[in-house]
Amino acid sequence: MTSSDALPLQRFTIVEVNDRDVPLCLRLASSLAGKITADLGATVLKIEPPGGDPVRRAPPLLPQGESALFQFLNTSKRSLVLDLAGADGRAALARLLETADAVLFEEPASVAVLARGGKATAIEIAAFPVEMDAASRPVSEFTILALGGLLHMVGEPERKPLRLGGHQASYAAGLTAFTGLAAALAARDAGHAAPAVRVSLAEVMQWVNWKAASGAEASGTSPGREGKASEFQIVPCRDGHVAVVYTATQWPQTRALIGDPRLADPKYNTRAGRRQHVAEIYTIMTPWFADKTRAEIQKTAQAKGVPFGPIFSPVELLDTEQYVARGFLATLGKYRVPQLPVQWNGRSFAPRPAPELAT
Amino acid sequence: MSGTRKGTRPLTGVRVLDFGLLTAGANTSAMLADLGADVIKIESGAYLDPFRVVGKPDDNDGWWNRSPQFRFTNRNKRGLALNLKDKDGQRVIRELAAKCDVVVENFRRGVLDRAGLGYQDLKAINPRIVFAAISSQGDTGPERMNVSFGSTLDATSGIAALTGYEGEEPRISGMDVNYPDQIVSLFATGMVITAVMEARRTGQGCFLDFSQREVASFTLGEEILAASAHPTRTLARQGNRQEGVAQQDTYRCRDGRWIAVTLAMPDATLPDFCAGRDSNAAVAALLEKGIAAAPCNEGLDLLRDRSLAGVTVVRDEKGGLVKGLPYRLDGKGIAIDRAAPDLGQHTEEVLRELLGYDDAAVAKLAEKGVTSTVPNVGEV
Repeated sequence: MTSSDALPLQRFTIVEVNDRDVPLCLRLASSLAGKITADLGATVLKIEPPGGDPVRRAPPLLPQGESALFQFLNTSKRSLVLDLAGADGRAALARLLETADAVLFEEPASVAVLARGGKATAIEIAAFPVEMDAASRPVSEFTILALGGLLHMVGEPERKPLRLGGHQASYAAGLTAFTGLAAALAARDAGHAAPAVRVSLAEVMQWVNWKAASGAEASGTSPGREGKASEFQIVPCRDGHVAVVYTATQWPQTRALIGDPRLADPKYNTRAGRRQHVAEIYTIMTPWFADKTRAEIQKTAQAKGVPFGPIFSPVELLDTEQYVARGFLATLGKYRVPQLPVQWNGRSFAPRPAPELAT
Repeated sequence: MSGTRKGTRPLTGVRVLDFGLLTAGANTSAMLADLGADVIKIESGAYLDPFRVVGKPDDNDGWWNRSPQFRFTNRNKRGLALNLKDKDGQRVIRELAAKCDVVVENFRRGVLDRAGLGYQDLKAINPRIVFAAISSQGDTGPERMNVSFGSTLDATSGIAALTGYEGEEPRISGMDVNYPDQIVSLFATGMVITAVMEARRTGQGCFLDFSQREVASFTLGEEILAASAHPTRTLARQGNRQEGVAQQDTYRCRDGRWIAVTLAMPDATLPDFCAGRDSNAAVAALLEKGIAAAPCNEGLDLLRDRSLAGVTVVRDEKGGLVKGLPYRLDGKGIAIDRAAPDLGQHTEEVLRELLGYDDAAVAKLAEKGVTSTVPNVGEV
């Protein structure tokens, strides 16, 4: 960047089309992609339907009733209400697309033909791969996690599969759409034809879960949730829980950290042996955690190079020393919110508040 | 085969010096390669990408070239083996850096600095270089030297606290997913491209400092924002339920398979409905009623489902399964121009092509052990 306040994408204009009646999981993905480019300085014009993006009313809510979800996903954008069901609204959109660099939209969209046909590069967010021919199939973020095989991986083998917390399917797709958008802008910038980009949530989840495919092909059986048979388990400690995580080469350090002579039994020396005796190992290890705090455990473990993970809740992250030191959380009005997870020559990208709905 | 690849793609003409390991680093440069960049992966006989070891299939000669995890993540790259601890190895890297646009690395902080190959060193040689440092905690702060492995970051990012059976202990994604590792490259690749555009325009590169933990916490942005407004907000684990959704869970069907269902209106009869039908029939009946439903696929299902795996998992020229693309560009999937490199496969080719080394220069590096094609990491 040439000056300290210039932003890297500020010469680009992106139109984010929020059509009516779009599944929420697609909206969260397109909104995240738009938010990242807006925080990086692009002019992002969010076209909302009359009455506004339904995410404006989605939980979790802030004390005055605004949606924290909307506020997070729409920082640094501008908003314009257009009724795309009417000819005037579509004509206005067509004019905007004449000068925009890229247009983000969700499938199925009433404006798909318009969005794909203009000078702006089309970045399209869908639920399913084209081949599934399923544009109108009912979908939720949760059923996408099932299709992509992520649910099968979390929980106890004899109990139901579990979802990961947060909006992981939508947000992984939103990050993907951001990278696709950046690639399209780079092509335009270099004078090449920019490819149209299509991101489907189902494909992104399958891609993220590649070890399930790799493991299934290598062994002939599907990797799946192992629960209490897993080498990595959650153990209670004095003030919460800790995830016991270590690599195969970190077993000697882990054994030394716990310091119980029974762990020196040669049957635990190989990974296969440890997998065979998981329950015994945890019976020996668990008492070590009981009288220690998460902070003590993290400090002691890191000193030996052992990557145990204390479990923190979102509210605790607000005071996490590392996040405070790096300024990861920006002030947004009265509240705090994560910034883009990157520093550029030591600089963070402070978000500006999400736009009000024009009335 | 030279570094020139077919057609004009978004990153044609961009060259990447890739120190990326495992998923977070190596996949960021893989995504750059897929977009047309010429990616030169650096390893050494003394330090292999750990994926070569994790996926070790047998003890036979050449095992280090047969790891499925390595093959998945490093296709479309050229591979060099240069000893970073050797002065001559370091010199060659600096010469290569002068010819590259991007560096990607996810070593523990300080490793490249100690070899005289950190951002400040390489920037002095090539001010246009975009240097992407991907680490567990970022390049600054009191925890910058902390180590993590996959699910460590499920725990410390907040994701695990929101994952688990109703009212029970937190859960992590586990070593067959290592979820936080998988999403970093989806963001980091876009940031690197953004910085490359800026470097082209201004002639100035930059240092991009990524914290994997921050990437994972970023995916909980609204929860952290809500927590800052409601300091007493506590979120007990709620299984598959979700705020604002009437009913959502997995249900076991007659054939023993689980399906996922999201309902706009509560329906207490759903467990019995599912238990009385095979999973395919239950999903079809629910979709017919306009209800979102899907089977809980597992790895083998994903391999069988060609439409789902069509671009995300593909085969290379040797027939091996490799990672595809998370998106489609102009409707197409990935072009696998080359399989993942054997250790040091392209060392000589790249030294001759990019640095103009002759037979004597190449031979001297091999004699000194700076370059190699076999590991000397001892027994693993």
